[in-house]
Amino acid sequence: MSMINTQVEEVHVHEPTPERDRRQFIGKTGLHILLACISFMLILPFVWMVLTSLKNLGEVSDPSWLPGEAGWQWSNYLAVFEKIPFATYYWNSLLIAAWVTFLQVFTSSLAAFSFARLKWRGRDKVFFLYLATMMLPGLVLMIPNYQIMITLGLVDTMTGLILPAAFTAFGTFLLRQFMLSIPSSLDEAAEIDGASKWRIYWDVILPLSRPGLITLTIFTFLGTYHSFFWPLVMLKSEHKYTLPIGILSFSSTSGQETNLLMAAVTMSVVPLIILFVVLQKQLVAGIQLGAVKG
Amino acid sequence: MSSIPKSRKNVYTGLLFLAPNIIGVLLFVVFPVVLSICMAFTDWDLTKNNRYKADPDLNFIGFENFVRLFTEHEFTQYFQNTLFLMMGIPFGMGAALVAAILLSQNPKSDSAKAHKWLKMCTFGLLSVVLGVSIAMLFVSGYNGAGMMVLLMCLISGILMFGVLGGNTVYRTLFYLPSFTAGVPTYVLWKKLYNPRTGPINTTLTPALEKLSAVVDALPIWLFTSCRWIGFGLIAALFGYGISKLLKMWRDGEIGSVAMLPTMLALGLPILLALKWSYTAGVSWALLIACAIILTVLVVRAVKAKRDFTCAGFDGFGSGILLVLGLMVLEFIVLGVSTVLTNLPAMVSDPSDPGLSAPDWLGSYEWAKPSMMIIGFWAAIGSNNMLLYLAALTNVPKQLYEAADIDGASRWARFWNVTWPQLAPTTFFIAVMSTIGGLQGGFEMARSLTNGGPAGATTPISFFIYNEGFETGRLGYSAAIAWVLFLMIFTITTFNWKFGNRYVND
Repeated sequence: MSMINTQVEEVHVHEPTPERDRRQFIGKTGLHILLACISFMLILPFVWMVLTSLKNLGEVSDPSWLPGEAGWQWSNYLAVFEKIPFATYYWNSLLIAAWVTFLQVFTSSLAAFSFARLKWRGRDKVFFLYLATMMLPGLVLMIPNYQIMITLGLVDTMTGLILPAAFTAFGTFLLRQFMLSIPSSLDEAAEIDGASKWRIYWDVILPLSRPGLITLTIFTFLGTYHSFFWPLVMLKSEHKYTLPIGILSFSSTSGQETNLLMAAVTMSVVPLIILFVVLQKQLVAGIQLGAVKG
Repeated sequence: MSSIPKSRKNVYTGLLFLAPNIIGVLLFVVFPVVLSICMAFTDWDLTKNNRYKADPDLNFIGFENFVRLFTEHEFTQYFQNTLFLMMGIPFGMGAALVAAILLSQNPKSDSAKAHKWLKMCTFGLLSVVLGVSIAMLFVSGYNGAGMMVLLMCLISGILMFGVLGGNTVYRTLFYLPSFTAGVPTYVLWKKLYNPRTGPINTTLTPALEKLSAVVDALPIWLFTSCRWIGFGLIAALFGYGISKLLKMWRDGEIGSVAMLPTMLALGLPILLALKWSYTAGVSWALLIACAIILTVLVVRAVKAKRDFTCAGFDGFGSGILLVLGLMVLEFIVLGVSTVLTNLPAMVSDPSDPGLSAPDWLGSYEWAKPSMMIIGFWAAIGSNNMLLYLAALTNVPKQLYEAADIDGASRWARFWNVTWPQLAPTTFFIAVMSTIGGLQGGFEMARSLTNGGPAGATTPISFFIYNEGFETGRLGYSAAIAWVLFLMIFTITTFNWKFGNRYVND
């Protein structure tokens, strides 16, 4: 900054004086310490979880958080896989989440295209029906849906787990809102060039809706990965359990083996943490985008 | 052109794109809804009517399920549980707001020198911590010092990453509890809460022993006076809220109809205090005094024949926000003063001398607060925090500059600039959390306590699950679900009616 500039803007810009430096330093130090302390408190449960998962069973209830004489038991993680079909739980969770996400994103984007970019009679009435279903608590649907699953013979099957979760009005609504913000001149231009509606959807709108699609993908994937109620009532046989159900059943059958249980919990939480750190930017943007529709 | 008219063709194309989704929605959403309404009016019971029974016994019973809901005490108890658990919502929102405000401060200072100092200090701290750690490990050995060393290294590590990486580091750490919240973390908390072996109680027990020694040594009037101090504070908060609401009413910011429920809500903590340890007589006297003051003020305002500048329901949102904030404070004061007042009695309890750590999930009184603590842990860095963070960055800078020119203090700046600008976000979060709170709590209840002890932690969602999937009374279960829907519907329409208007203000 040149001398003249500083003099002109003296009134508005705070000059870097030693006094100001000191004030800034104290303020920022305080802020950092506060933030670090809160972060520390918030992640303490996770610290205990990881440390306990590495303890010997006999030392689990010791006041010290660290493994004692017996040393660090890395073998606990292997023991979990021997004790319960943990890999199967993982696989089931991933498989179901992937299928639900695929179906949800694909069919929702088609429906959203129809609602946002096509003009047809009765469109708004159908859309209102969609909106109305969004207000329903999921609990209202669970009981009749279970009876439907019994009738269709889908209880305790992957299909029965995937189908009811894959079609919701929320995804359509989110993507419709997003597609409405894409300028209509784009598909008009494509139409003049002789593109079919499918081509407009596939080549014009879909690529432009990417942020919306990513948001929906992350939401749906996480929601399904965490989902608990529906798998709990639907799944009867152990080899079909998803991660939450598997962990819960492990905690009720051998909850006394705290170290193994914590190893299992660690293994189900850590992928999420990695996922979050990797996807953090999209996630934060997505949550803020998702709420704007409110 | 084909022979099909264009408008018809458009409908076909539209429906063709819609088809994959709408078939699923019709089959798994719309049809179940219709079925569920029908079920709610029947006595469908899996023990009497299932597909293996030759002669199904299914009757239409009209509103009997609903009548039963409101006459049997179960629903009332579980609804109260739900409401109790929902009292954690304002606390969580407040924490999310504070976290967002902290995170929105730029941790890198604008003066390069200050930042350099900060970095140097952090590295200095880190090297000191490492040095001390190594020394401690040498002196008292792995078992004695290991845990201290670990925690110290952890906190200074966080600090270092924070100084180098800025807010993203803290935001990530803040967000982790809410991001991972689910059955696995609840299983983790169940272990943390274990009354004998869990880390919470193994830390609390020695601390409480020391505390009881201190309490024993202090004179007893110190604690009994806490009751009156607490009471005075609550009365002051109540009075402040009432006067603020009245001022808003006189200024035409809030309608007369909207003012009444918010005023009543302010009195709620006092009513609770009546139920708790406070002397009933004084509380009643206070309430009556308030009622008299209120009536006098209202009568005077009406007598003055002033113009009512706004419609009855106007400003409902801002009234609720004010009251929510004050209620949180009132509850905190109430809780702290009640605990302090009862400390000597608890310490000198002949059947159980000294303070003992609570049984957490296993005790009737502590089970719900335990769950609220978990909810609070997950609420600090939740999506709500991210929403607040986005809203805070959207506050126009000019407003702050204007406030600075007027020489506003930080506190005044917050109340007069930030808080009003955040109001739409706060309102949105409040409504969404209320809806979520009404139908939530199932995962926690199922994985932590299975609804117990003695139904203390059964929210409505768990009740529906129990009736529908455990006892098999499908009709009854559907009826409960629809009552829940009606509540949510009411809140949603309320939101449409007042939320948007408030947001536009």
